[in-house]
Amino acid sequence: MRTSLVFEEVKDELPRIVDTLFSLIPAGVGSEGAIPKLSMQDEKRLLRDGARWAVSEGYGRQEDLAFMEEEGRLLTADADLLSDRALERGLRQVGTLGSGNHFLEIGRVEEIYLPRAADTFELFPDQLVVLIHTGSRGLGYQICEDSLRVMNKAMAKYGISLPDRQLACTPIQSPEGQHYLASMAAAANYAWVNRQVIMSQAEKAFTRALNVSPKELGFSLVYDVCHNIAKFEDHVVDGEKRRLCVHRKGATRAFAPGHTQIPAAYREIGQPVLIPGDMGRYSYLLVGTETAMEKTFGSTCHGAGRVMSRTQSKKQSQNFNIDQEMARRGVVARYQGRGTMAEEMPHAYKDVADVVETMDLAGVSKRVARFRPVGVIKG
Amino acid sequence: MAEPPARIKEIEHTADLGCEITAVDLPALFAASGDALFALIADRQKVEMHNEVVVSAAGNGPEELLHAWLCELLAQFNINGFVAKSCAVDRLAADRVDGRIRGEKLDLARHAFHTEIKGVTYHDFKVWEEDGLWHARIIFDV
Repeated sequence: MRTSLVFEEVKDELPRIVDTLFSLIPAGVGSEGAIPKLSMQDEKRLLRDGARWAVSEGYGRQEDLAFMEEEGRLLTADADLLSDRALERGLRQVGTLGSGNHFLEIGRVEEIYLPRAADTFELFPDQLVVLIHTGSRGLGYQICEDSLRVMNKAMAKYGISLPDRQLACTPIQSPEGQHYLASMAAAANYAWVNRQVIMSQAEKAFTRALNVSPKELGFSLVYDVCHNIAKFEDHVVDGEKRRLCVHRKGATRAFAPGHTQIPAAYREIGQPVLIPGDMGRYSYLLVGTETAMEKTFGSTCHGAGRVMSRTQSKKQSQNFNIDQEMARRGVVARYQGRGTMAEEMPHAYKDVADVVETMDLAGVSKRVARFRPVGVIKG
Repeated sequence: MAEPPARIKEIEHTADLGCEITAVDLPALFAASGDALFALIADRQKVEMHNEVVVSAAGNGPEELLHAWLCELLAQFNINGFVAKSCAVDRLAADRVDGRIRGEKLDLARHAFHTEIKGVTYHDFKVWEEDGLWHARIIFDV
């Protein structure tokens, strides 16, 4: 999300902004939720309608939908396929960040690489932006677990044998494959709703903390993109257009300028790609390229990737005070679990600048802007 | 003579959290695996044993059964916010386990929360007997 705010003008208010974000956007651990517990009917509606459901409930605006991958809804979702446990896990977690590597980051635009693209995305130097990194929460994981159970049993009849049961699979066109795809689509819709609600809560937190109107704040969606999803897309293989199932796991769609699935306002420039960093150094906005269409089925990286195990990171974090370390990096941080924060400290990650530079040099995405984190909340 | 306590050792894993559990028999292994799970979620020092929840799981063989048992325990946290201070196994058959966990709902004001566990993965999941002891290797998705 972009704002109309300039870092220098609001930097003294950052602790208040971060505190308000932390109070309005729960981690959702255990059973707390950002919005009242849903009815099962509402949950099934949101699993079917995706971000449209959130907008219809007053979270965000109609115009946001145009700036989401798939406009925030996969039509192939079938909520009736989900287990009771998956539905139960989803009831209270809408509008929650989760734990693990999920977080919300306030950044300031520190560097612009492609001024024309930055203009198109309405970004300017020193502007405050907000990045949300979260997904389908427990509901998504439960679908994974339910599907693993089914697929592990079914693999033998398809003559598939794998060394690791976590990699269970069946052919896409098999009943189990089709069941999974429709369930996964429901999880994707849940994730869009989750981010949409968090975005709306974040806007509320900023207006409340700064005592400004939504108009003065100018909070609006730059783009919402997935990094763990499988979808059918058309790609050219050996000179021939083919319908493919593209699975991007820890990868982000990076469609080239002119693609019809890019919002009209951005079509000449290319699809925005969001790269969350390590909460301490930087995050990036990239743009998709023709090379990505040719070489990587329209895909680029998702983030930095870990360089250190969680256990190692925790050990290293014992040597310093986490709050002081984040403050030293110029980041106001609020978090629910010290353990998670210790596992997720910036030192546990590769330098994301190296990762995006590699993508840039390979031509599969181009750097548009770099954001310096100044505020973080996480579970 | 009292049985030696089960051993819980955190193991290295790049993106997730892993444990190796050692116990004298399978019921003790199941109980200790449950303890390991809840200890990763929160500091249990201040968790009171106000409530008891009866948990059952079904599966074929020790591996499937331990996986199912842990999934059931984790559901108590993920759906009800329940953190167990103690896990006990009452009955363990080849295809079913029945037990009880005692604890209370997570209260962020009183309990130090560590991390949310999304699931019990099948990755490298193992249960085996060696030198008269039972062992389990578990990787949790966080």
